[in-house]
Amino acid sequence: MTETALPLPPDAETSTRQPSHAAVKLARYVSLKLLSLLVAVTIGVYLTILIANMGGYVDEILKGQIREEISVTISMDQTKKNLTVAERSRLIDELVTLEERRLGLDQPFLLRSLRFLSRAMTLTLGRAQWLSSDSGSKLVRNIILERLPPTLLLMASSNFLLFFVTLFFALYLSRNYGSLIDKAIIALSPTSAAPAWFYGIFLLLLFAAVLGWLPFGGMVAAPPPEGTLDYALSVLRHLILPVLAWLISGFFAGVYGYRTFFLIFSMEDYVELARAKGLTSRDIERRYVLRPTLPNIITNFALTLIGLWQGATILETVFNWPGLGRLLYQAIGLYDSPVIVGSAVIYAYLLAITVFLLDFIYALVDPRVRVGSGGAKL
Amino acid sequence: MSRKNLLSFLGTLVVLSMLLGACTTPTPQVIEKTVIVEKTVEVEVEKTVEVEKVVEKTVEVEKVVEVTAEPEKVDRKGAWLDTIVFVEEPSADAAVTRLGVGEIDMYAYQVSNREVVEKVNASDSLDAYQSSGSYNELTFNPAGPELENGTLNPFAVPAVREAMNWLIDRNYVAQEIMGGMAIPRWLPFNVASSDYARLADVARGLELKYAYNRDKAEEIISAEMEKLGATLVADKWQFNGAPVNLIVLIRTEDERRGIGDYVANQLEDIGFTVTRDYKTAAEASPIWMRGNPADGLFHVYTGGWVTTAVPRNLADNFQFFYTNQGLAVPLWQAYVNTPEFYELAENLANSDFKNMEERTAMMAEALEMALLDSTRIWLCDRTSMTPKRKEVKAAADLYGGVSGSSIWAYTLQREGEVGGSMSIAMPSILTEPWNPIAGTNWIYDMMLIRGTGEFSTVSDPFTGLALPQRIERAEVFVQEGLPVFKTLDWVDLEFVDAIEVPDDAWVDWDAEQQRFLTAGEVYTETVTALRKSVVYYPVDLFSNLTWHDGSNFSIGDVLMEMILTFDRAKEASPIYDEAYVPNFGAFMTSFKGVRLISTDPLVIETYSDDYNLDAEMSITTWWPYYAQGQGSWHALALGIMTEAAGEATFSADKADALEVEWMSFLAGPTIEILKTHLDEVVVSGAIPYSPTLNQYVDAAEIQTRFTNLAEWYRQRGHFWVGTGPYYMERAFPVEGTVILKRYLDFPDMADKWMRFSEAAIAMVELDGPGRVTIGEEAVYDVFITFNDAPYAMADIDNVKYLVLNAKGEVAYVGQAEAVADGEWKITLSTDVTNKLEAGSNQLEVVAVSKLVALPSTDALTFVTAK
Repeated sequence: MTETALPLPPDAETSTRQPSHAAVKLARYVSLKLLSLLVAVTIGVYLTILIANMGGYVDEILKGQIREEISVTISMDQTKKNLTVAERSRLIDELVTLEERRLGLDQPFLLRSLRFLSRAMTLTLGRAQWLSSDSGSKLVRNIILERLPPTLLLMASSNFLLFFVTLFFALYLSRNYGSLIDKAIIALSPTSAAPAWFYGIFLLLLFAAVLGWLPFGGMVAAPPPEGTLDYALSVLRHLILPVLAWLISGFFAGVYGYRTFFLIFSMEDYVELARAKGLTSRDIERRYVLRPTLPNIITNFALTLIGLWQGATILETVFNWPGLGRLLYQAIGLYDSPVIVGSAVIYAYLLAITVFLLDFIYALVDPRVRVGSGGAKL
Repeated sequence: MSRKNLLSFLGTLVVLSMLLGACTTPTPQVIEKTVIVEKTVEVEVEKTVEVEKVVEKTVEVEKVVEVTAEPEKVDRKGAWLDTIVFVEEPSADAAVTRLGVGEIDMYAYQVSNREVVEKVNASDSLDAYQSSGSYNELTFNPAGPELENGTLNPFAVPAVREAMNWLIDRNYVAQEIMGGMAIPRWLPFNVASSDYARLADVARGLELKYAYNRDKAEEIISAEMEKLGATLVADKWQFNGAPVNLIVLIRTEDERRGIGDYVANQLEDIGFTVTRDYKTAAEASPIWMRGNPADGLFHVYTGGWVTTAVPRNLADNFQFFYTNQGLAVPLWQAYVNTPEFYELAENLANSDFKNMEERTAMMAEALEMALLDSTRIWLCDRTSMTPKRKEVKAAADLYGGVSGSSIWAYTLQREGEVGGSMSIAMPSILTEPWNPIAGTNWIYDMMLIRGTGEFSTVSDPFTGLALPQRIERAEVFVQEGLPVFKTLDWVDLEFVDAIEVPDDAWVDWDAEQQRFLTAGEVYTETVTALRKSVVYYPVDLFSNLTWHDGSNFSIGDVLMEMILTFDRAKEASPIYDEAYVPNFGAFMTSFKGVRLISTDPLVIETYSDDYNLDAEMSITTWWPYYAQGQGSWHALALGIMTEAAGEATFSADKADALEVEWMSFLAGPTIEILKTHLDEVVVSGAIPYSPTLNQYVDAAEIQTRFTNLAEWYRQRGHFWVGTGPYYMERAFPVEGTVILKRYLDFPDMADKWMRFSEAAIAMVELDGPGRVTIGEEAVYDVFITFNDAPYAMADIDNVKYLVLNAKGEVAYVGQAEAVADGEWKITLSTDVTNKLEAGSNQLEVVAVSKLVALPSTDALTFVTAK
């Protein structure tokens, strides 16, 4: 849908089409775009439902678990010891039936999957099967919302810091191509192959276990400080290591990637022309290098933004950070489909919205981009 | 160019080193619920008496060192610590590191990971409480021998299953696969149990008989395979022209993966084709538990079980583990036993014996039959540890560790210190909503709940026997002929011809009129019961004991427990819960009636058909400790009003059915709802069940209670109140932190349970001649100590010895004689030595303590010659 057309058509800046016609085209484009995104989200969510439930096999797993747990508990319960075998079997059957009904296992999976889908698409996230929020709510909405702030705090701090640091450092390197520091960054870029949690373990060992300067994990000191300022400072202290781990993991590859990207753009003919015209390096960088790269940078930034939603499962686990990543991991381990689907559907919507908005943002920041095939330039 | 190459090389080196380092990825924490299994065991009263007689004779000979001596009295009530901070730490490895640097004082989780255990053992500042409780076995598919798909299942043949005992080297499993964190096990008894100790001679005989012998296993299995029509072609068994393929269903979460691989190797080694089916618990369950055994989806399953309390009675293990009466699932229903074993297992499960001697004889016979049947074969009892700093002390349960101990809160202290604070980590905190009726059942939450609440009786962490915490004494009346025994003085046991339920006893509940129904109203004929218990509470119970919000404990709290036992199962009740009905139905099959003999002092008489081998555990106290925690009548009243209004429910099942929140008294969205009802009741004074409760609870108490609770809420923001040694100061759900503080008005002295701060596990040492002349008497000394001090005779139940002859067979079993505290004597008479042939023999001794349900053993080899 989004088209990047180079060279620009001769009439690009002088379109004579009627505004009303352009509005109709735009409306049609928006409608089609929204519809296609909705279909994509629906398919994605239904696939998530099928995968999270292993195509219905999770029902069998859950039924097995329920019967096993109830049977063993009742059969070995001292207070039920005096029941006859028949009474005990009846009791087990009744409890199994109740539990299966509670989890909806008394209904066919296909029917439940469609109900899941309709609820998910309307963002009625429903109730978790096993998990509850830390404060005790069974509503998936509450469970997710409770874990969202810690995840946003950790992931936003880490990602924004990483994004801007790598971006500006890459710009610096693109200006100092071939310098010693440039070569060092290139050489160290493979270190980003190791994930953040890997560095996290080393950082914990060094700064928490050996030096004792920083905490082992958690979001705040135990017991949490009473005052707001003290609380905030404590959170900041606990943020240092996970953010640092994230930074170390992503820094070199990030800088390498952006730097290469900027170098490619800075070798374009129009940049050479600008140089020949005697423009200052700052002007060249701002007008001729950064601007054409903006769509890519914005795309990266936007995807980073929605990526925050998912958290970082292992990093959160290593640092005992109460975020969404750990929640999702727990949900998968417990086959808690509503929580898995809930998390996925929100991500799907965020992704769809981002993709939708990016089309317009591209058109705003890059004069070469038009919204809609042959449509009006925004 | 060379510089670039060098940089590339260095970069590659860095990446490789990281990848290698990544191999030590921490294992993410797997959440699992623990099945709580509690059993009872009887005590040999007669033997106890015999030993006590010896004490009287020898007490002056030896300077007595009291193992059970009370620690020095400390003038402090309630808990030893002022504050405990609980924090969440999912990784055991990280927890031990934090323990090492002193950031936390204990990791309240039973760890069996060998690397973590090694770290603890290597540390100067750390140690751990050891506990048992989980055990591993191999479950066989007994269907066949020819399955529906035409394949052969050799495990349908008992002889093949029995031969598997010889094929598996349990010592290898315990030492190599479990890394030494296990002890080999052959029998359906936990080694750490009184039943095992009582039958030690039989057990040892069977263990020797079924010791690892691969050749014998192969010989028997080959013979049975040939009988089944299988042929050995190129060292592989074939049936109907196809290889005999055995599916080993291997659990992957723990060391059972190693066990499964080992078993598969052993089976391949004797000619079977083996398919290794690796599965998690969830994936395996539909196959082995729910699947039809005749489908042949598995032949061997690497099973595991857990017991979190010291078992008092293992007699029903035969029925549960070996017969189709164990579980109503396809696998169990496929079990076929010999009629003798089936009947014996049933009789043992139903306590159909007259005395301990008969029971012991039946158990011995059943053990042999169990090994002949071998529907499953036992592999090992696993050992876990609760890591802690060395200076930390607590009463750790022999099975449940610290987190499963019912008296951890009374005993937790930093050695030599009074007061102060402690930091305890656990894998998960506040996992599910807290409410006493049907709230969280997670083991981590339950530890905190036990710390803030109080039981009427507590479980002895080393024997599992009930000890009185908040009751004065009890009387138990049992119908003549039933096998009930007593051990401790706080219970009086009496056998009577018949127990009639009086007409004024409450037998049921009318949910509409909100009053109890008496036996006279419900029954037209006189009802009898098998057991009656009369519980006497202390005279000062209501004046001495207070809830954490300052309210005095009252008869209302006990009545609420009685009412809620019935009301939630009645359809006419506004808090009717369908999920509770099955359990209530089970309760009503044995419940016959209850009567308040006196309200102050409180005396309660209960009639029931439910009894236990231990009289101490055959009492019904009606103490307001519900399924998931202690509850005061006034706090519960708010929950009842909330559920009646349909705003939230006690149970998860009902919450899901109504699509409302599951009630939490501690945090979350239901706190505000409870607060709304608190505001209402403060104004109105109208409480639930007023037709009954108002007869015992006056307006002043109602006013005081809710005023206290309102103030409690104002200060702490929750409704979790108990009478335990600690109260819930604050809970931080998202941060994963809980703060418990010492309850200053707790009435008991801090050292009340300190005698349980260390398990008096006996050390046994045999000493005597290495050469014995056949036909001559030989005397051996047995030294029994604890912490290098002699073990008091009064604390020893019995000391048995076994003589194993040169063939490894049990030649003789006898009882050692008590000489003095910590000193016993074994005399091998001329008759015994005459039975031995020339060669190398072994003398094994098993000492059974009254204080700890873990027998201690030692062995000595001696040579016999003429």
